[in-house]
Amino acid sequence: MLLKHGSDLPLALGHMKPGDTVELHALHCASPLLRRRLRDLGVTEGSALKVLRLGLFGGPLTFECDGQHIGIRRDEANRMEVAPL
Amino acid sequence: MSEVALLGNPNTGKTSLFNMLTRSYETVGNWSGVTVEKKVGVLRGRGGRIVDLPGLYSLLPLTEDESVAARFLMEESPASLLNIVDASQLERNLYLTIQLLECGRPMLIGLNMVDVARSRNITVDAALLQQELGVPVVSIVARKGTGCADVLQALGSLAQSEKSSFRIDYGPVIESSVTRMSERLNQAAETSSSNLRWTALQLLEGNEAVRSFLSGSDVLSDLDDLIEETSQQLGLTGEKSDMPTYLRKIRTERITQICAVVLDRSAQRIHTATERIDTILTHRIIGIPLFLALMFLIFKLTFDWLGSLLSDQLDGLISGTLSGWISSALDGLGASAFTHALVVDGIVGGVGGVLVFLPQICILFMLISFIEDSGYMARITLLMDRTMEAVGLSGKAFIPFIIGFGCNVPAIMAARTMEQRKDRLLTTLLVPLMSCSARLPVYALFAGVFFASDQALVVMGLYLMGMVLALALAKLFSRTLMKSEPSLFVVELPPYRMPQLLSLLRMTWEKVKGFLRKAGTIILAGSVMIWFLSNTGPSGFGVNMNDSFLASIGGALSGILTPLGFGTWQAGAALITGFMAKEVVVSTMNIIYQVPDMAGLEHQVAMAFTPLQAFSFIAFILLYIPCLATVGVIRKETSSWRWTFFSMGYSLVLAYIVAILIYQGGRLIGLT
Repeated sequence: MLLKHGSDLPLALGHMKPGDTVELHALHCASPLLRRRLRDLGVTEGSALKVLRLGLFGGPLTFECDGQHIGIRRDEANRMEVAPL
Repeated sequence: MSEVALLGNPNTGKTSLFNMLTRSYETVGNWSGVTVEKKVGVLRGRGGRIVDLPGLYSLLPLTEDESVAARFLMEESPASLLNIVDASQLERNLYLTIQLLECGRPMLIGLNMVDVARSRNITVDAALLQQELGVPVVSIVARKGTGCADVLQALGSLAQSEKSSFRIDYGPVIESSVTRMSERLNQAAETSSSNLRWTALQLLEGNEAVRSFLSGSDVLSDLDDLIEETSQQLGLTGEKSDMPTYLRKIRTERITQICAVVLDRSAQRIHTATERIDTILTHRIIGIPLFLALMFLIFKLTFDWLGSLLSDQLDGLISGTLSGWISSALDGLGASAFTHALVVDGIVGGVGGVLVFLPQICILFMLISFIEDSGYMARITLLMDRTMEAVGLSGKAFIPFIIGFGCNVPAIMAARTMEQRKDRLLTTLLVPLMSCSARLPVYALFAGVFFASDQALVVMGLYLMGMVLALALAKLFSRTLMKSEPSLFVVELPPYRMPQLLSLLRMTWEKVKGFLRKAGTIILAGSVMIWFLSNTGPSGFGVNMNDSFLASIGGALSGILTPLGFGTWQAGAALITGFMAKEVVVSTMNIIYQVPDMAGLEHQVAMAFTPLQAFSFIAFILLYIPCLATVGVIRKETSSWRWTFFSMGYSLVLAYIVAILIYQGGRLIGLT
């Protein structure tokens, strides 16, 4: 199932603020290509993510995971379900 | 001869190590996807070939550059593998390592960036890792060359070493399926070179490169049945995930076990320096203005502060001293007037006229290399992604754009690292609008004459114009010509590092060498040709230049160029010859106006153009057509003549529209 809008998710990565640390809960709503790329980078369900920065005008969200810094688009972040840590 | 394949995750220092092991100077950089093609070198001291491959995260390729590496492994079956592993990101690097180990080839692991890991308080025990994986592990710092001698030595004794005993048990369902698939594969002769167990596992995982290697043989349909059966059996055991996910899960579990033994991250800390720099450079408000300011600084350095000063010195040297020497040497040898004119007016004028811009080109290349090596490149994509998203592109397209400021050819190849075909095609089509260093001599000449006081500003305006037009066209093309695929953006931001002076100089030299080679070949040939054409006409050799063939060729265009403000045969001739290489525009002007030095040419140009006409002309030069070499690489990367001709066609139309708007619009508001 692919959700059109991230707002349907209980808690999405895209809703977090810089400095928030969360656990990645579900990736299945993100686009398949992105999901694979994130898996390649070691970002999977259960990973701890720390939001670092948000781009202006809905620009990319940067987070830290296992010491690596990764940037993704906000609408993709909105489709990644997280849980507070 | 034995062949070693260099494999590893992106941005782990494969090319740095390759350069150290072979004394090559391939381009290195601090972002994922610097190397997009395989590069072959000869190992220092002991012979044997080593192949540098684009980085990849797993053997299931996602992008074009990754599939280069995956295909290489299947098709060329290298004798041994050298796997580079980033010690500061051990867990994710080991995933590829495991897939490579399953290949069953002799393998050596280079544990790289141990210094970076140490600075973050991460320790990896190389000896224990060696024990766990069953293959030799050597700690290295490839950028500094530490441990490279050990790698060379270890590679020497690798061939004789026994096979690794490393093996993962994937559970009864998969294991029995792998055994049956191996038996079936064994009956088919085609697959003899690669390890059967590995081939079976890769097929179960859905590796397209392996599949297409087997396609055509009758085993494939049998194997597909087996795969389907296995997948059902796996479902029956109560396993919820599909097969690729299941395999990944088993491997990840093993990696976790290995890391528990060899890795100590208890005192791990984040990269504080990088974090601090990023709070400024990728700041949500000042990030983009800082990027623009940096670009302006680059143009200031290239054109105003350093470049033109050095260029004037070089001009004095070439057109004064050198030309004088050659002239008197020719007189001394009793050369004919013909030879004298050919060498002094044609070759020294044409090639020398371009070479005087060497300082600007060196400085620009050096500054681009600095950005490439520092880690800022990935941040630029992050800053620009919002804008790029709006026009239907990925922020990653900005990397090819920036490389395009140096030369469009490698820039188009850099588009391979993008995940989506639409992004790659759009970027390939639009890179020619980036002002490459070949257009720089034209700008430097014209801006120097007409806009001397604010050269950097005018030149930056041209660069920005190319960029803005590229974005506008991206919007247009993605709306009209492409399938509506949303573009993907995901970027790793590597830790910043200070580029080393030596490697910076080497990278610059490699690029400058390309320019010098061009000066010695295509620009030289072009200059000689132009000189002949400008001196011969229907009535023979030695005609007045206005009656020459060159004048009639250029004159044929002058009619359509008149509305743009430069309807002279000289401008027409320069544009035609500029297709070979954009620098040839300057060579042509030098020969046509037959001037001894830069000052003379500047004077002539000032007579021939008004400032408005000049601006229209350089804008036209910026846009009008990709050069010959770029056309070649567009054809190669798109494998389509249609898109190749499209790229030439749209740029001609665009250049015409922009130049007419500048000239006619300028006249309307009273400019001259």
